[in-house]
Amino acid sequence: MASIVRPAMLRQTCLATASKRTFSTKLSSFPAINKPAASVLSRPVVRSAFVRDALPGAIRVAAFHASGRQPILPPLPQVINGTANDAAPVPPANPSHGSYHWTFERLISAGLIPLTIAPFAAGSLNPTMDAILCATILIHSHIGFESIVIDYIPTKRLPKTRVLFWWGLRLATVVVGVGLYEFETNDVGVTEAIKRIWHA
Amino acid sequence: MLAQRATQQSLRRLAASNPSTASRMVFKNFAAPLAVGSSMHTRPVTTQKMTPADSYEILVAQRKLRPVSPHLTIYQPQMPWIASGLNRITGSVLSGGFYVFGAAYLVSPLFGWHLDSASMAAAFGSLPMALKVATKFVVALPFTFHTMNGLRHLTWDLGKSFANKTVIKTGWVVTGATIASSLYLALLA
Amino acid sequence: MAARLTTRAFTAVRPALRSPMGIRSMATVVHPKSPSQTSTVEEPAASPDAKIKTFHIYRWNPDEPSSKPRMQTYTLDLNKTGPMVLDALIRIKNEVDPTLTFRRSCREGICGSCAMNIDGVNTLACLCRIPNDTKQETKIYPLPHTYVVKDIVPDLTQFYKQYKSIKPYLQHSAPAPDGKEYLQSKEDRKKLDGLYECILCACCSTSCPSYWWNSEEYLGPAVLLQSYRWLADSRDEKKEERKAALDNSMSLYRCHTILNCSRTCPKGLNPGLAIAEIKKEMAF
Repeated sequence: MASIVRPAMLRQTCLATASKRTFSTKLSSFPAINKPAASVLSRPVVRSAFVRDALPGAIRVAAFHASGRQPILPPLPQVINGTANDAAPVPPANPSHGSYHWTFERLISAGLIPLTIAPFAAGSLNPTMDAILCATILIHSHIGFESIVIDYIPTKRLPKTRVLFWWGLRLATVVVGVGLYEFETNDVGVTEAIKRIWHA
Repeated sequence: MLAQRATQQSLRRLAASNPSTASRMVFKNFAAPLAVGSSMHTRPVTTQKMTPADSYEILVAQRKLRPVSPHLTIYQPQMPWIASGLNRITGSVLSGGFYVFGAAYLVSPLFGWHLDSASMAAAFGSLPMALKVATKFVVALPFTFHTMNGLRHLTWDLGKSFANKTVIKTGWVVTGATIASSLYLALLA
Repeated sequence: MAARLTTRAFTAVRPALRSPMGIRSMATVVHPKSPSQTSTVEEPAASPDAKIKTFHIYRWNPDEPSSKPRMQTYTLDLNKTGPMVLDALIRIKNEVDPTLTFRRSCREGICGSCAMNIDGVNTLACLCRIPNDTKQETKIYPLPHTYVVKDIVPDLTQFYKQYKSIKPYLQHSAPAPDGKEYLQSKEDRKKLDGLYECILCACCSTSCPSYWWNSEEYLGPAVLLQSYRWLADSRDEKKEERKAALDNSMSLYRCHTILNCSRTCPKGLNPGLAIAEIKKEMAF
């Protein structure tokens, strides 16, 4: 998706500012592509696509956006574990990440409908309902981001990046939760604030 | 059996080296044995014993060199996956904004930012009218889309409206409703 | 054969040490050169009233592993070609370019061999009519996001291994009461309609973006539809075990109801609905 979304215009703007020398990295500035075969599967090479290199900021951005031909997460070379006749491994059952998680997520999403309609219908919300709405949106957002991390940062592929994002997301959710608590207690509440700004 | 195979192989090789003559030859029976004769005498064939383990090694080496066929860039743009992708993008944009605001509000006293509702409303109120409407539209669009498409997803989770035609129809309904409701919200003073 | 294979393996390794393209730390998803940059193979002996149609076909040869995949252009006279895309491919292979490689077997949509991406949609070449409009050029790719064995032949090893992992057979401990077969009511049999017809052509799985990104762990629409085929079978006794095998974050729940699967199924089945039914059964 990202390869479509990434605006070609931004790419060109960035390139214009970057020096000609950047083009010598042509394939991309991702060192992963130019490393010898011996280190093909060693983790630093794979990871280096995400690690900042020594290039200055503008060039780095340009190189990233100029590498349109290279997808952000190119698949690894094909490796098949076992013979073609061995079944793929079945992971152990874990309902709290499976069926319970799914059901909970659907309940949260469905619960958001009345909570979203209520302020429109009633004109405003009392602080408790507003806090519930805020918390529900926070959980919904957290689950959504979690799902994005699981989809695009597979553990097998980028174990350290995955851990970083996983815990980074949890930290962010806690920080945002505290921030919203502050907002709810010191200010007028989210729905009321949006209403005021909207009518400003 | 072996002779037949050799015939086939040499024919194939000849075809590969010179496609135009080969394609003509296939239809002319007399040409085939001629070609076989000439190529069989000149090509020494050597074979080599190989254990299953060795041949497996070759397969493993071959697999590592295989390219991956193109996917997102060549797949036809269709309602199901475009709408689903937009659902994820709009969701990320909304939640991202929500997270950025929440975190910024928490640290605002440290940096002296004015993120309380009164000053934000005042700042927004001082913008020119057109910019206000445009901003509201841009903010309302992902919200309405994610909400409406979310309803579509919840219907699917109940096991309903899965027919291809229905999926396309509801997709367009959501698109229309999104634009209409966003315009309404944007023009709401 | 063995000798040829060895030499191929050696030539495969040697240039890899030199050319940067051969050293793939990542498998390449190469967007083949545009058709204008490649050679065109023309219809042999075109007649004046010929109805010439252009086909762009994805080519990659494992004997030259360091070369990029490319698009090869062929033109065919539709008056001399059968109605389906598979007819065109067979005619190209027979009369124009014998090196073109693809899988085919039944030519009537029951074996699933000729699954490929035609004009951006996964389908069976034998069930896909050649668009009559000769101005429109047809593009043929292998199934998306698969490892390419050669030309439009994808490697489906992982797909079959995943199919095996869901135990696609009737699990019943006691012998049949009449000593011959397990019986089921007409209503129970009806529940299998729309499920048993799946031919495992992999069109749906390889159309699923979730499966593109996570094919190692996510089972994909085709295998999940098969899984539901056994969950829905009144004669099967291992439903709980089957559900437990799916009850983790990856196997089933990477499905985000994108529904490319149902849209693309050349047999008109609805894998998306089958997956939704599994989720429902497991939720409540």
